Amino acid sequence: MSSGATPIGVESFGGLKAASLALVRGERTLFVDLSFRLAPGELLRLLGPNGSGKSSLLRALLGLTPLARGQLFAGPADSPVLPRELCEQALYQGHAHGAKGELTAIENLTLAATLDGSLTADDAGPILEAALDEVGLTRQRHIDTRRLSQGQKQRLNLARFAIALRAADRPLWLMDEPSAALDASGLAVLEALLGRHLARGGAAIVATHLPIAPHQGVVRDLHLDAFAPRRVREGLAELAQ
Amino acid sequence: MTEFGAIAWALRRDLTLAMRRRGDILNVLGFFVLACSMFPLAIGPQREWLQRIGPGVIWVAALLSVMLALPRLFEHDHADGTLDAMVASGRPLWALVAGKMIAAWLVTALPLLALSPALALAFNLPTSTLPVLAGSLLLGTPVLIGIGAITGALALGLKSGPVLMTLLCLPLYVPVLVFGAGAVEAQAAGLSPLAHLALLGAGMLAVLLLAPLVAALALRISVE
Repeated sequence: MSSGATPIGVESFGGLKAASLALVRGERTLFVDLSFRLAPGELLRLLGPNGSGKSSLLRALLGLTPLARGQLFAGPADSPVLPRELCEQALYQGHAHGAKGELTAIENLTLAATLDGSLTADDAGPILEAALDEVGLTRQRHIDTRRLSQGQKQRLNLARFAIALRAADRPLWLMDEPSAALDASGLAVLEALLGRHLARGGAAIVATHLPIAPHQGVVRDLHLDAFAPRRVREGLAELAQ
Repeated sequence: MTEFGAIAWALRRDLTLAMRRRGDILNVLGFFVLACSMFPLAIGPQREWLQRIGPGVIWVAALLSVMLALPRLFEHDHADGTLDAMVASGRPLWALVAGKMIAAWLVTALPLLALSPALALAFNLPTSTLPVLAGSLLLGTPVLIGIGAITGALALGLKSGPVLMTLLCLPLYVPVLVFGAGAVEAQAAGLSPLAHLALLGAGMLAVLLLAPLVAALALRISVE
């Protein structure tokens, strides 16, 4: 299943640059003048209190939520891209689990990975088994997803990323609170997956409250709180004095 | 994944889900049969009257049954985050929507179509009208689903979504109803139903082309 456009492979991913992003939800401005750069092999941790716009930023990078201002650049040449164009390069895990409760774990995983393009029909069986084994869901594979615990649902999401590691496209991982319900061993799986992804030249942006530290790759923090309009105004006032 | 692959993915997915929720399909069918059978009970068993109202009643019941099932087309996916995942996948959204619409037609409209001859006989319609009734439903139900998908996508996530969707849908359903029931009545009166069917067919072609695109646009607005 090849896409119409050439998929952007991990090896040709030139990073992502965001310039002066601003996001408005309803009446509230979440952040203004947010700029960052994400190089291959880097993990950007989005930090900030609830409501600071972590999830909204992830959604805005994919065009799910419109940006009020700002521009995104991708590739080695920093060519401008529209958020929607990033979708084909990105693997997104949202705040909701994105699994159908009435389907089994393995059925949900098959659907998600097929849509991602990282699973084809020929060799699906062993790949699915290996991925579920990696995240520790082997015994739950034929259980309806609605019967899984929150942590197990998050592990199921990790299995999708484990399968994506085998495919060469989708170099940009966007994860929204992937570890909120995970136990220590689940966190270790997440860190291992992120480490392998960064080591192969991929990049990731992860919204999190918990310290996630993969063993490989560069980890940088972005405090969204610092770009809240109130803070920016205070900073400007200090400069003026 | 090509456009065709995306259509097939969404179709297979929604059919699997429908098989897990067979109760939903049976609810729609049950509503269709019961709504139709209320009329002879209320009006009485005069053959001429039943024959006269039969086509209209069957068409109205089919229309309401389809509308009963349509809010589910996107609502569950919106609530559990899978709709976000589909939009974020970068796959052509119109193709995913088209796959979902085909699945919705197969699980809601096709059973209605299969049952319609039996109900037509219950209304004492002449057997020569049975193919016309089935044909008008075959051409008309995709239009109902297409319009319903657009309005459902627009009303998605709103507090009064299903009610709003009904209000948006019903006026747009009127032409389908007029030509659908009109085709059967023309046949029963010994006239040619072709003009009605041709108009329904034209409507179906327009909806097949436009509905996935428009519904996909509406979805992008709704997920914001």
